[in-house]
Amino acid sequence: MNLVTAPATGTPVQSPASGFLRASLGVTAVLVAASWWFILAGGGQAGAMAGGDSFDQALRFLRGFVGLAEDGTIARTRSGEALVPAYLQWDRWVVMAGLAIETLAMSVLAIALAGVGMLCTVLPAARTAATGVLLLGSPTWAGRVTYWLVRAMYILTRGIPELVWAMLLLFVFALGILPGALALGIHNLGIVGKLCAEVVEDLNPRPIQALRTSGASSAQVVLYGVLPQVLPQFLTYVVYRWEVIIRTTIVVGFVSAGGLGREFRLAMSYFHYTDIALILMVYVLLVIAVDLIGAGLRRLAV
Amino acid sequence: MATSAGNEGRFGAGAPLRQRDLPALAHGRGALTVLLCAAVLLSLLRVPWGDDLVRPGGVAMVGQVLGGMLKPDLAPEVLGKAAAAAWQTIAYAVTGMTVALAMALPLGALASGTLVRNPVLRRVTMVLARGSLGLLRAIHELVWAWLFVAALGLSPVAAIAALAIPYAGILGRIYADLLNDVPPQPVTALQTTGAGLAITFLYARIPLALPDMISYTFYRFECGLRSAAILSFVGLGGLGFQIQIALDDLLFGRVATYLLVLVALILAVDTWSSQVRRRLTQ
Repeated sequence: MNLVTAPATGTPVQSPASGFLRASLGVTAVLVAASWWFILAGGGQAGAMAGGDSFDQALRFLRGFVGLAEDGTIARTRSGEALVPAYLQWDRWVVMAGLAIETLAMSVLAIALAGVGMLCTVLPAARTAATGVLLLGSPTWAGRVTYWLVRAMYILTRGIPELVWAMLLLFVFALGILPGALALGIHNLGIVGKLCAEVVEDLNPRPIQALRTSGASSAQVVLYGVLPQVLPQFLTYVVYRWEVIIRTTIVVGFVSAGGLGREFRLAMSYFHYTDIALILMVYVLLVIAVDLIGAGLRRLAV
Repeated sequence: MATSAGNEGRFGAGAPLRQRDLPALAHGRGALTVLLCAAVLLSLLRVPWGDDLVRPGGVAMVGQVLGGMLKPDLAPEVLGKAAAAAWQTIAYAVTGMTVALAMALPLGALASGTLVRNPVLRRVTMVLARGSLGLLRAIHELVWAWLFVAALGLSPVAAIAALAIPYAGILGRIYADLLNDVPPQPVTALQTTGAGLAITFLYARIPLALPDMISYTFYRFECGLRSAAILSFVGLGGLGFQIQIALDDLLFGRVATYLLVLVALILAVDTWSSQVRRRLTQ
């Protein structure tokens, strides 16, 4: 990759880039060694590594998960009736389907917010557009300032995890899917914005410059030169992030932002482990469904 | 696309358009627009709009949160805690990623279908390996973390396993695609000399795919760091744990400090990894 062959001898000569790569390799090795040393030395947690009785604990958990009592027999109530695991009860499935729809709505709102926010901010965030290269203009102060402002906003929104956004928003909003959707949308705005700004930076400038030299206004250039080139790639990224968001909705729900995640937290605190099993089944089905819809959307877009 | 965004672009780029595709395309776009707008509208209807959407006193809270956030608490004690928590987060991310890598390489190689000659057997291994990779990444790392904490207690094993499982699924799937998509000429050249599948894999596919594989792994490390920070939510230590404690105590100045450390950490890894990626894929 970075080896340039010297013409006379045929031996590889290193370009300056590989010095940086070698240093990076060294830093990575040191990080890996130090991290494992730290964890194995018990620095990770007060409880240190798993002790002897953790196997029994794990076994008990797994039994509860499939609906068995702690000694491995069928779980019964005090009066001796067998307890039916939640995943074998039709009405529990109906309840979970309702929560799944709520979760899906949360993810759609989140990606809509991220997508619309990205479309409104992505052009000033592209270096080529900000410095005027793209439109054959000269760099302006306003362009530079908005570039850095939008980029800083992207860094801040994606640097703060969605869970922390949700915790902050729950100081203001009542429990429900709206704070969850806002948290996911804000965090993903930074990610989608960064990805899509790179698409704009990498696009072929010639059609745009041709439009410009033939007298098109900025709005016309954006409509007929930029958007047709970037939209398929934008949609691909947005759909890809939607698939990530649906996996994350459950996590945002943990802080009571509604949907399957909230139910997961409640079931965990009441030790309703068969409910957990059912929630996970519904969750995986939802993720698979969204992946399939996403694949269909991508085919429509391209 | 291929240069600066690197492998984040591996989700199917736009195919070149031909003239006769245009009516079909317009049809697809129109249907898509209607579909997406309908989905957003239906979702908006699920939100219980009303006066109780905002907490009582919620608007006043915005001022308190923002006021605290603008004044990060830089006391030496807080900074010390932030440094220790940051290191713990890094350690979880690095150890989790190494385990993920060890799981992703063999699964990815099997899922690429380049190691098996028999077509029936190849299909079977590909479906099995791709299916298991899909299952690994279907469940979010924080859900794994909670399950592991419930099963094993608060142990670093829970943190490492929770990170390793979904990241193995993601890395393995991308590795499979990369190993599959290498330029065919060097592979064919090696095959014509009589090299078997294992030799072709080791001396053509791996070297050809390696820069992209490393570059994608680096990008994922950045995500892993963010994931490791929020593992704290289920009680495992790290930056997220400190953020949570500070939020519970309404100490927004401390929240700001820990968030700044987290953002700085992610920014540093982001810059490092984009430098590495630029040099690897240039």
